[in-house]
Amino acid sequence: MLWRTIRSMEVMVHSSSFLLPKLHQPAKTPANNYNLVVLNQHLPRFMPRLWAQAKLRICADGGANRIFDEMSQMTSYEDDESTRNRYIPEIIEGDMDSIRPEVKRFYSCQGTKISDKSHNQETTDLHKCISSIRDRTPNHEKSNLCVLVTGALGGRFDHEAANINVLYVFSDMRIVLLSDDCLVQLLPKTHQHEIYIESSLEGPHCGLFPIGAPSTSTTTTGLKWNLNDAKMKFGSMISTSNIVDSEKVTVQSDADLLWTISLRNLT
Amino acid sequence: MPLPTMTHSSSFLLPSPPPPPADAVSYAVVVLNQRLPRFAPLVWTRARLRVCADGGANRVFDGMPDLLPGQDPDEIRERYKPDAIKGDMDSIRPEVKEYYSNLGAKIIDESHDQDTTDLHKCISFITTNPPDPDNSNLCILVLGALGGRFDHEMGNINVLYRFSSIKIILLSDDSSIFLLPKTHSHEIHVDPSIEGPHCGLIPMGAPSSSTTTTGLRWNLDNTSMSYGGLVSTSNIVDEEKVTVTSDSDLIWTISLRKHA
Repeated sequence: MLWRTIRSMEVMVHSSSFLLPKLHQPAKTPANNYNLVVLNQHLPRFMPRLWAQAKLRICADGGANRIFDEMSQMTSYEDDESTRNRYIPEIIEGDMDSIRPEVKRFYSCQGTKISDKSHNQETTDLHKCISSIRDRTPNHEKSNLCVLVTGALGGRFDHEAANINVLYVFSDMRIVLLSDDCLVQLLPKTHQHEIYIESSLEGPHCGLFPIGAPSTSTTTTGLKWNLNDAKMKFGSMISTSNIVDSEKVTVQSDADLLWTISLRNLT
Repeated sequence: MPLPTMTHSSSFLLPSPPPPPADAVSYAVVVLNQRLPRFAPLVWTRARLRVCADGGANRVFDGMPDLLPGQDPDEIRERYKPDAIKGDMDSIRPEVKEYYSNLGAKIIDESHDQDTTDLHKCISFITTNPPDPDNSNLCILVLGALGGRFDHEMGNINVLYRFSSIKIILLSDDSSIFLLPKTHSHEIHVDPSIEGPHCGLIPMGAPSSSTTTTGLRWNLDNTSMSYGGLVSTSNIVDEEKVTVTSDSDLIWTISLRKHA
């Protein structure tokens, strides 16, 4: 007689409450130790909210240029110099081939730690930043940690592919890639997932993608077109242009999946 | 048994194309609903068939005059007129639809079909109405497939996998991407005046246990690649011909140079 062991998987809870203005934070969120990584592309419009949430802000190389140049466009009530003085990253890390010398000087004078990793050409700037964050986060704070990343999507396609690979390489960490249009995060196959939807901020468009390997069985609830023990793979069916139909979406899969949801116009 | 060879070239991006050989490629262009890349007028001129996916028609209407400053916008709009506009028609502006319809563009309303993406519908249209029925050398250039909403981008990349026997190239201002199906050995001709040096090979749909390349700064030699492991990105094209053979379908990407 064959006994089938039904392993009950641990549930991983997700929420985008970091997108809420700080005053509106729910008392209990799945992760509240936010770290922010800024890569070298146009800042999303809601960057001030992310900055306010984060306990640690790291600019990856030219991401520092973006903070220096673009934050003042999002805070029109004060002059550029005051804005610059308010948004000082704790660390600038990377191979330093994009950051402008005057930007590096400015932040260095303001106390930002400059972490030059130009000797290490094996890994991308995002990989270096995530590694750094992991190394400096004490073990007891790791389950609470969530890394928010801007500038990882769009631009050069090989960069985007590499940034997505960072989610897979560090699959035991919560990392959320953010753009003006959407957020992207990994749902590791090791867990059942509960995604709480803030409908004032996100949706309704969403999707699930078996990047890297096909899924022979994925089951969801809370979507307009739910998957029921469905197979997904590139070349065949993947879930795009789906719609969130409930305040809670659940996903369980035999493969690592990328989850994406559209973001509403947030400023 | 050795795999048949598939060759790839980006000569459609050259400002003045070389004289066509006997086995010349026949181009079609599909415009999706995102801002046109700066080379859109060039690519449009190369194509023998032009299809807009729904709101892509708005982009052509608004964007072509912007990319050709100093010329009369009305003349440009008449010149850069799509042959067909296909999709669910929920984004195209009524006046744009009317304008192109009056100029003879075929308007194909597929709003009843919610199962396939706009790009998928356009590719289907082109394969059933090829620009040159005598020429099996079809290559479909797609503008506006990358960036923007991530689920759209994934859906567009999936179209490359679903139509793996057709050459389809997704183009943005920054990059060019296309599928290298595992059924073939690939020769990619690189023109350094328009593209490179940054490139990558991405095992998007499934891992590869063996990929071999030539012509790259960091060549792969029977190397395995997978998400979570090695994905070849920030590689550099070192020669004018790159070859790739793999046991898995791969996405090839190369950066595009930014000209004035």
